[in-house]
Amino acid sequence: MSDGKSSADPTPDGGVVAADTPATRLHDGGTEENATTTATDDFALARLADNSLLTIARREYRLAVRSRWALGVALLFGLFTAAVVQFGASSVGPGRFDAVIATIAELGVYLVPLTALAVGYDAIVGADERGSLELLLALPVTKGRVVVGIAVGRAAVLSGAMLLGFVPGALLTVRHIGLASVGPYAAVALAAVLTACAMLGVSVLVSTVARTKTHALGAALAIWLWVALLHDLVALGAVAGFDLGSGAIAATILLNPVDCFRVLALSQVDVVAGGFGSVLAQAGLTTPMVAAALVAWVVVPVGIAAKLIQRRRL
Amino acid sequence: MNVIEVDDVSKAYGDVQALDGLSLSVEQGATLGVFGTNGAGKTTLFKLLAGLNRPDDGSVSVAGADPTDGTTVRERVRYLPEHAGFPPSLTGREILRFHARMRSVPSTERAHHVERILHTVGLAEAADRRVGGYSNGMNRRLGLGTALVGEPAVLILDEPTAGLDPDGIRAFHEVVESLAAETDVTIVFSSHALGEIQRLCSEAVIIADGRVATAGPVEELRRAAADEVTVSLSLASEGDASDAAAELQDFEAATSIARAGTDVTARTTPADAYDLLTAVGEAHDIDRFEVREPGLEAAFHEAVSESSHSGDGTRPIATEDSGGEPA
Repeated sequence: MSDGKSSADPTPDGGVVAADTPATRLHDGGTEENATTTATDDFALARLADNSLLTIARREYRLAVRSRWALGVALLFGLFTAAVVQFGASSVGPGRFDAVIATIAELGVYLVPLTALAVGYDAIVGADERGSLELLLALPVTKGRVVVGIAVGRAAVLSGAMLLGFVPGALLTVRHIGLASVGPYAAVALAAVLTACAMLGVSVLVSTVARTKTHALGAALAIWLWVALLHDLVALGAVAGFDLGSGAIAATILLNPVDCFRVLALSQVDVVAGGFGSVLAQAGLTTPMVAAALVAWVVVPVGIAAKLIQRRRL
Repeated sequence: MNVIEVDDVSKAYGDVQALDGLSLSVEQGATLGVFGTNGAGKTTLFKLLAGLNRPDDGSVSVAGADPTDGTTVRERVRYLPEHAGFPPSLTGREILRFHARMRSVPSTERAHHVERILHTVGLAEAADRRVGGYSNGMNRRLGLGTALVGEPAVLILDEPTAGLDPDGIRAFHEVVESLAAETDVTIVFSSHALGEIQRLCSEAVIIADGRVATAGPVEELRRAAADEVTVSLSLASEGDASDAAAELQDFEAATSIARAGTDVTARTTPADAYDLLTAVGEAHDIDRFEVREPGLEAAFHEAVSESSHSGDGTRPIATEDSGGEPA
């Protein structure tokens, strides 16, 4: 089926965009571009894909900043850390910094995953409902990279906003306790950010498989309920009811990013505070192991989402 | 050279058979109009061409490659979905720049390239406004703009003029006509405005029940659809018109005779149109007359009618109103 039209002018410029100079390079089905070697093409494609991922991430970053949820997250964590440090450090005695960290750890297990899930639950399904996902997926980038780009962009904004939110607490810590507290405080902040990125990865996965934003929101809330509340109860019950070995306890901790956060935070102080923390000493976990587990929690869900986007009905 | 090859493709969404053994080929440089009833399978076909979905059976090839195999095809194909949307906090210019970057338009040419697109689709003045404040028609123009970014070899546009105001429709027509005249970009678009397809397209395909009901050059479809023309007469008085209408009842080759005021219309074969005019003209004063050839609408009705008669009537068809099933 054709009318047999062909371009008589290899460099047409009739005032329409497709007649731009770069357009003709494809239209003419020409010679120079086709003569490039396969190796060069492969390299160019790889470079294109990498740039595309970053371009998508940058776009997502810009969207997040403009939507002002990043500002909201920064303010939320600013108020949270400032309040905890101000009230926690006002007590007298050498253990006051430990109390601050313990409080951040205990309250952070609720706040950090909730924030991350709220930020990520609509990443894919929201774009689908808005009508922009098909446009993105029709671009010359693999579907998986679109998902990764979106996750990277949102993770960058979330991380930046959270780190900004930890600054008021850091300043108050220096004021009340001294410069020596900055290192451990920063470690807790980084653990919180890593945990948030892990939960963001989970929420991006949820967003990829959910048919509607409502479904994604429901699933995100259920996940928050599990990681922040139920997992500890089930784990404590298992520890109390069965004679679990240290390996099983360690696995139980590593299977919950929020528990990983708690371990990392409490490893900065001497106290062993409530919930599942009371069994940490038996678990034989080290800080690098837990940090590595959190990194896996960041990478694996996003990787699965990048695979599952192929099966998403568009 | 065929730039699009669709061979015996089927695609189902659950129990809904959206495409059912559809085959189609489009040569490079053609402008193909796709039309059919709601739920006929147009959008499903377009998504297969754009590499967004895989067929259950059959094969799809665009520019010599499987659209779902890597990004090669998507580098050359532009797809504008029917319900394209954009992040409301970005401006039109930012969105086009994003697409230009993704399409590897060189950075030195990017600003100029985007500016030209903005002018082409009539959004130059609104370029720096956030898309959240755009009207539906402006969103459609922006969508068309994204399809023009870079180096398209194939444009696949799903109802590109739906929701556009007359200026937007005219801009779209100008773009398509320019591309068709000056480049060998292959354009495939769907529309319910048959006049639009008749005006812009060299080829047309009518899809019904997930299959190609008929396809071919627009002119051939138009002529093959019906071997009748419509003769419209405007007579000097209502009395003349009434008499002429009565006399035409005895004219064997005339059908569908109707009168409204001083106007009389009748359908006849092209060969008998002259005799009909002569017969009426000898008895009455004709102020003016018009002989209209059959349009694509006739082809559409004929194709859809034949398709529905040939089916067993039990196969469920995706409908665009059925709540989310692509059609």
